[in-house]
Amino acid sequence: MLWELTLRDLRIRYKRSSLGLLWALLNPLAQIVIFSFLFVHVMPLGVEHYTTFVFCGVLSWSWFSTAVIGAAGSVIANPELVKRPGFPVGVLPVLSVTSNAVHFLIALPVLLVWAAFDGGRLSVSLLGLVPLIAVQFLLSLACAVPVARLNVRFRDTQHLVAVIFMAAFYLTPIFYSADRVPGALRSVYMLNPMAILLDGYRKILIYGEWPDAGPIIVVAAIAAVLLAWSYRSFTRASMRFAEEL
Amino acid sequence: MRGAILAEGVGKRYRQHPPNRANTLAEAILQGLRRTPSTWFWGLRGVSFSVAPGRTVGVIGRNGAGKSSLLRLIGGVGRPDEGRISVVGRVGALLDLGAGLTDDLTGRENAVLVAMIAGMRRSEVLAKLDSIIAFAELEPFIDQPLRSYSSGMRLRLAFAVAIHVEPDILLVDEVLAVGDTAFQRKCLARIEDIKQAGCTIFFVSHDESMIHALCDEVLYLRRGEVVAFGPTAEVMARYRGDTDHAESEPVREVAEVAVIGGRRLRLHENRFGTQEAQIAAVRLLDAAGAPAERILSGAALTVEMDCRRMNVAGGVVLGVTICTEDDTPVFDTNTALHEVDVLVAETEGRFRLEIARLDLVPGRYFVDVGLYEADWERLYDRHTHVYELEIVGIGYHSGKGVLAAPCAWQRDFSDAEQARPGPAVRMSKPPREGAA
Repeated sequence: MLWELTLRDLRIRYKRSSLGLLWALLNPLAQIVIFSFLFVHVMPLGVEHYTTFVFCGVLSWSWFSTAVIGAAGSVIANPELVKRPGFPVGVLPVLSVTSNAVHFLIALPVLLVWAAFDGGRLSVSLLGLVPLIAVQFLLSLACAVPVARLNVRFRDTQHLVAVIFMAAFYLTPIFYSADRVPGALRSVYMLNPMAILLDGYRKILIYGEWPDAGPIIVVAAIAAVLLAWSYRSFTRASMRFAEEL
Repeated sequence: MRGAILAEGVGKRYRQHPPNRANTLAEAILQGLRRTPSTWFWGLRGVSFSVAPGRTVGVIGRNGAGKSSLLRLIGGVGRPDEGRISVVGRVGALLDLGAGLTDDLTGRENAVLVAMIAGMRRSEVLAKLDSIIAFAELEPFIDQPLRSYSSGMRLRLAFAVAIHVEPDILLVDEVLAVGDTAFQRKCLARIEDIKQAGCTIFFVSHDESMIHALCDEVLYLRRGEVVAFGPTAEVMARYRGDTDHAESEPVREVAEVAVIGGRRLRLHENRFGTQEAQIAAVRLLDAAGAPAERILSGAALTVEMDCRRMNVAGGVVLGVTICTEDDTPVFDTNTALHEVDVLVAETEGRFRLEIARLDLVPGRYFVDVGLYEADWERLYDRHTHVYELEIVGIGYHSGKGVLAAPCAWQRDFSDAEQARPGPAVRMSKPPREGAA
């Protein structure tokens, strides 16, 4: 059913557009072009393989942010499903993560081809993408579920989440390198789980290295615990969703 | 056993939000820890009943009686705050028309999606898809986007899916009213089939004839509590007695009374109302003024009522309803319609309703009488299914329907040549006035 609902999401989004799923690519591509222009030619940041670098950042960040922002509104946008006997409400925030994951996966081959073209050293470490994507999936869920629940009670949660993500966009090494963050702040800065994951993606796609397993495992563990807790509390709260909508 | 439902003391309470309740995070933070206490009210309370598999249960009650809340609880949407509800088997539901339908997808895509949301596997859905589309009578439109569908078409699609899910329990909430008569009849026939197959059905409707036609039992709710649960005819009689009247709880107990024909008049059973004013005696009289339980079709009937404690404030209205054995009203009038002023100073009064001709097909009927507050806000006394009336006749009608109007056949020929005198068409004479 999750798959069927994901298909519904994608169909709705692209059914009446001539470019269809290509839109999944156009948005990140536009950002990449802009960033490349700005930070290679206007204000050079001196990052090597900059287009691949920013491609990794934009692609994985837009999956994460659209999934969580979308999840915030997911329950209140589907009152008729919530009130439907037998419908597992817990599917709704998950749905937001999966349908955005499809966008990510569609764009991923383009990223791989570009990385190869841009001189990235692709190696057997590409296999590392699989666990990396799995961890990001887990992390997105762990954020999506509590946000979806909170938004039922407090309707401005989704706006707040949008603002937080806008700020987080600049506090995450998406279009600049974490190396530029002053050493004293670096340890705090790297507490951002997305900074850790982005570093992993770039190690694989630009340098052909294996990412550092340690921090990624920590992110996975924290996300798993958070998800388990928030899913339980979501399920309990969902008993009252039908009344709050 | 699959299809069984058991509710034990089920209560569901809802929060009545204080007007200054924080609805946004910003407000909640500004209000800080100062919590505004919520008040609660019980949408359902102390609801107990058990339904055996394969029964069809009608749920009736005024708006806000808790019918939809109950259906949702049975469907597993939310959990009771009190008591226990156990439901065995797959639940199919027709609660919300639009539930899960997506405007931008085609009818076919919607059917698949909704069926899967309702708990079918993909292979199961694909196997039944043709049958679903055929039942919904949507073949020519099934690949059109749902946006272009009328509400009747949406209902048909939703209903077709819901019944193909093969639920053990089917919940239907007042949605059938949308379809046209032909489709409604088809739905009812299908519900009958599902019933035969052993599915338990919970059916919310305000349409009394539908309840009569479909339900084995009726659950009557008022302000979240069960007023009555039992065989359809019994509960519906009670509901009919109460309906439209805000106040009808007896203020005094009344001993049971024997009436003609060996029947007994008992409060809560066939006598309803507050009893502040009462109908003390009812007599059915034939044209000659003699008490009668049987009259000829087309003869006159007089309903004579003795009333007591009539000096209630505001005056009263007296009503008389004649209905068939299965509770279909065939005649209904009251003093307000005749603009008869029944504001009486005396405590006792005798009223006679004279019906000049009662052209009903032969059969058994009941004459129900009711005494109401002048503005219908209060039911004082109502006797349902107590006074039996048998209509006999030699009428020239098939026995279908309820009306046996005096009638005659005439024959005219447009072609003069063929107009030879044939055997006279027998003309029926209107029955003579008078008792049998």
